[in-house]
Amino acid sequence: MNRTISDLALGVRLAVGGSRKSWVRLALQGLGIGMCVAVLVLAASIPGAFAARDAKGNLSEPQPQGTGPAPLLVENAYVAYRSDYIQGRYLKVLKADAPRPPGVEKLPGDGEIVLSPALAELLASPKGELLRPRFPQRVVGTIGQAGLTGPKDYTFYAGDDRIGESGGTKAYGFGVHYGGGGIAPILWLLSVVGIVVLLFPVLVFVGVAARLAAAQRDRRLAALRLVGAGASRVRLIASGEALVGALVGLAVGFGIFYAIRPFVDKISIAQLAIFPSDLTPSLGLVLLVVVAVPVLAVFTSLFAMRRTIIEPLGVVRQQKPVRRRLWWRLVPAIVGAALLGSQMGKINDTDRPEQWPVVIGVVLLMLGIPVLLPWLVERVVFRIRGGSPALQLAVRRLQLDSGTAARVVGGVAVVLAGTVTLQMILAGVEQEVVSKEKRQANLAVLTVSTDENVAVPGLREALEKAATVRSVQEISRTGASAGEANYVGIVIGPCDALKTQATITNCADGKAYYAPDSGGGRAVEPGAELTLGDPRKGVRWKAPAQWEPATARNGGLYLTPAAAAGIPVDNTSREFMAELDLSVPDAAEHARNAIAAYPWQTFTSFAGQNDIPEMERVFGLVRQGLYAGTAITLLLAGASMLLMALEQVRERRRPLAVLAASGVPRGTLARSLLWQNGVPLVLSTAVSVATGIGLGALSMKVSDAEIAFDWPGIALVTAASAALVLAVTALTLPSLRRATGALGLRTE
Amino acid sequence: MVCIVPLMSIGHALLGLLEGGPRHGYDLKRAYDERFGQDRPLHYGQVYSTLSRLLKNGLVTEAGVEAGDGPERKRYAITDAGVTDVERWLSTPEKPEPYLQNTLYAKVVLALLSGRSAVEVLDTQRSAHLGTMRELTRRKADGDLADQLICDFALFHLEADLRWLELTAARVDQLAVEVKR
Amino acid sequence: MTLLRAEGLVKSFGKTHALDGAGITIRAGEVVAVMGPSGSGKSTLLHCLAGILPPDSGTVHYRDRELTSMNDGDRSELRRTEFGFVFQFGQLVPELTCLENVALPLRLSGMKRKDAERAANEWLARLEVDGVADQRPGETSGGQGQRVAVARALVTGPKVIFADEPTGALDSLNGERVMHLLTTAARETGAAVVLVTHEPRVAAYSDREVVVRDGRSRDVEFAR
Repeated sequence: MNRTISDLALGVRLAVGGSRKSWVRLALQGLGIGMCVAVLVLAASIPGAFAARDAKGNLSEPQPQGTGPAPLLVENAYVAYRSDYIQGRYLKVLKADAPRPPGVEKLPGDGEIVLSPALAELLASPKGELLRPRFPQRVVGTIGQAGLTGPKDYTFYAGDDRIGESGGTKAYGFGVHYGGGGIAPILWLLSVVGIVVLLFPVLVFVGVAARLAAAQRDRRLAALRLVGAGASRVRLIASGEALVGALVGLAVGFGIFYAIRPFVDKISIAQLAIFPSDLTPSLGLVLLVVVAVPVLAVFTSLFAMRRTIIEPLGVVRQQKPVRRRLWWRLVPAIVGAALLGSQMGKINDTDRPEQWPVVIGVVLLMLGIPVLLPWLVERVVFRIRGGSPALQLAVRRLQLDSGTAARVVGGVAVVLAGTVTLQMILAGVEQEVVSKEKRQANLAVLTVSTDENVAVPGLREALEKAATVRSVQEISRTGASAGEANYVGIVIGPCDALKTQATITNCADGKAYYAPDSGGGRAVEPGAELTLGDPRKGVRWKAPAQWEPATARNGGLYLTPAAAAGIPVDNTSREFMAELDLSVPDAAEHARNAIAAYPWQTFTSFAGQNDIPEMERVFGLVRQGLYAGTAITLLLAGASMLLMALEQVRERRRPLAVLAASGVPRGTLARSLLWQNGVPLVLSTAVSVATGIGLGALSMKVSDAEIAFDWPGIALVTAASAALVLAVTALTLPSLRRATGALGLRTE
Repeated sequence: MVCIVPLMSIGHALLGLLEGGPRHGYDLKRAYDERFGQDRPLHYGQVYSTLSRLLKNGLVTEAGVEAGDGPERKRYAITDAGVTDVERWLSTPEKPEPYLQNTLYAKVVLALLSGRSAVEVLDTQRSAHLGTMRELTRRKADGDLADQLICDFALFHLEADLRWLELTAARVDQLAVEVKR
Repeated sequence: MTLLRAEGLVKSFGKTHALDGAGITIRAGEVVAVMGPSGSGKSTLLHCLAGILPPDSGTVHYRDRELTSMNDGDRSELRRTEFGFVFQFGQLVPELTCLENVALPLRLSGMKRKDAERAANEWLARLEVDGVADQRPGETSGGQGQRVAVARALVTGPKVIFADEPTGALDSLNGERVMHLLTTAARETGAAVVLVTHEPRVAAYSDREVVVRDGRSRDVEFAR
């Protein structure tokens, strides 16, 4: 045991061995592993951060159960402003000692309001000018962090004594326990693939970084063998060295994490901005990282040595490694693809697929790349015949040792494949979202809806008075069912109003129309007995005996008032469609301001205010993050490629110097370096783009989305890897120049 | 051969020593023994017979006699002919053969003592050695195995000489300091 | 006929004066040994003479061309076409087979692979190492490797072969074999050989010798 520790310590001593080279190597290792650790720790804190968000959101929910007279009446309000939604609450305080929601020091009285910092800022800025009429109240405070889910939250509590007039919700306190709402399935898929794809290369690179400058290390270890260390002790010593790199990496990684943490509240997208204090890695995951990274580093460095026989008089690499076999290398990719394929189409708008087959499928497909690449590089390199002397030099070099190159580019390939996959999923989601938005009916209409059973007198008049409103149509909505599952939506309104919702011809009062659901197949027959509202206790109603066909985005019955006789008004919710004069900028906001007196009674939506810029911002940010991650990993890969290339130049200094002395142009030697770096990377780029597209397509199929290709993104990624080869080669040139100088000829 | 070579060179050695200035025979013996005769000092007889031969050949002259009698009272000086003879001797390479070191060493020391280029002495000798080695190498290429082995024997010995020449050339400055002390 | 002439070569590396006014003349077809103790500037003289290193001052003429005023590319080409090189060790590209190593200079001059390899094979046979044509240098013995290197130096039909301690890493027997094959082949093709060595028995393969000491050369034949 003592001996084991002293051997490990010797390894540590060698790793920090004092020479400038060993420090550089340690720094590179530390930085490489450190970046990986930072990403891992960040990933480990994200679940916690979002859980904290949900928890805080729940803490602010009014608690409707209680005994005795309620101390508070609460109305939730959703105020739409351009592409933002401001979710707030109107309160009426009934008791002096009424409970306060978290983060609020003093409950606002009638005509008073407390704002979240972000909302206060928006209202104070020129951007919030058209929002101000909707918040005429006196500002009496700011909501503290405890009451906010994120630093960019738009929220408020406003006191309003009118609440009692129209009912209101009784509240006995704040804080409820809801289950997590969950995210949209396609976003869920995006995050699963994203996390796997980003974390996988991280693990690969922990391995690569741990093996930086392995040849140097092998020489050191050979020297140890010469003074009598046994093979197993040499392995222990090597573990010690790897351990140092990993520990330095851990320190650097946590350093990076805590250095960037204070800036997470600067993220401009409200949904993604997080309070720095909420971004705390969970203890279990931190422990996992702290244990797994050194274990992985030691394991990979030992694994890398398995083909290297360190003899006292030097390092022997087994000259003729076993020919790489294809079949088992195909297994991960095939199983992964099969797993994903088996889940195909199982994600739709509401259902999530089985989680594990998808995750394992993605992991296996990703794993398939580095497993498959060495075989492919070897095959291709052995096929190459002829070519220029520069190519010949490179190919021969690769034929002797294609494994090292393949492993390094394997890491790059995973990153590239992951990036391409994410780009495709992003492009697919984007296309879907954008096309849905585009298909929205009339872009010049502001829809104002009210709750069922709640009459809002004066609303229509107020709307009609707005300067930017040309006309107002009114419809009622309800729904009916025939039996258990057959649900049909019903829209009632005069011809003009109906025309805003569906394409109908020859409209006259008394006519009925039926637009089939996009799913196809009639849900109901003319003259069917239907139940309005709740299928168990709703009102019975007989559908019109005949109707005409129509087309609409939302299928269902479209009835003129006369055809809707027998549907009680109580069972419908009313909707006003205000046609806007879009020549006035922000026409919708002016119209909304006209009905500012009904903040909680109405919900407005303006299809013309497309959310695309907002979505684009989100996608832009995600894409930026993706590119940043890719860039970091590519840089890391570049660094290890550079080290490898420099080491090779150093190892072959003499032959290179002799070649230069014999009149071989330096250009030829430089080109051979370029080939040597380029051939594996070109192969890996091809494989990774193919895998990325395949995985992306599979993922999109799994979620039943349309397949879209982000060609500019793919081109960018490919160009980046090409640039990497050029950069690495260019950086190798000075050392090539030095090696090929006459000094390279000197005998040591 | 082993005895002839030193005898042949005693005359030149004495001449070389006289270049520093006239000396008594006894002085000459002492100077010679100090530098060249570590394990084999000269006999007085050898000194006087050599001096008389040199005298006869006009390479030295008697440079005065001190009071008293006997040959040990005579001072000898080198003549111009003697200087030329020393010079010729120094610049003529010895025939390359084994066991040259005594003569070569004497040449180097005397060159240093008399302010001549010891390196030139060595280079000249090297040239002669290499010439012989070339000849042997050529013979080896044309000959059978027996010839090759015989030539190789000579080559290895000559090489040893040459290595000695190299080494001496490299340390000639050091030697000059010691010799002149 | 004078092929190569260097005069007044001065070259310093930092504070070390490797060459301090050295000169040498090489005539067509002769074998010249450059001798001298280690650190005397022998190799530097060879490097300057071959246009590998530009001297700080002095001139090197190859026929009627002045090497020191040529640019790097031209000197590279000159070395590739007119000169051949044999060094002590580590001169063969480890990844290429012996045959490819020998064919490399021809291919760099634009010869077709097939033709280059045929010529290379002839030279390997001439140096009695055609048996290792398809092996990599690492798989051959030292003597075989050096002979492959000699074949590579001779394959382009150079006018001058620069050999820097060509037998330095070999035992006597292998060294002599290499020297014999090198000088014989050079004489047959009429190539001059500049042979840097500190070994007298190797130098004995020369026609004459030049001694370098303290950065100055002493051309035994021409100095006087």
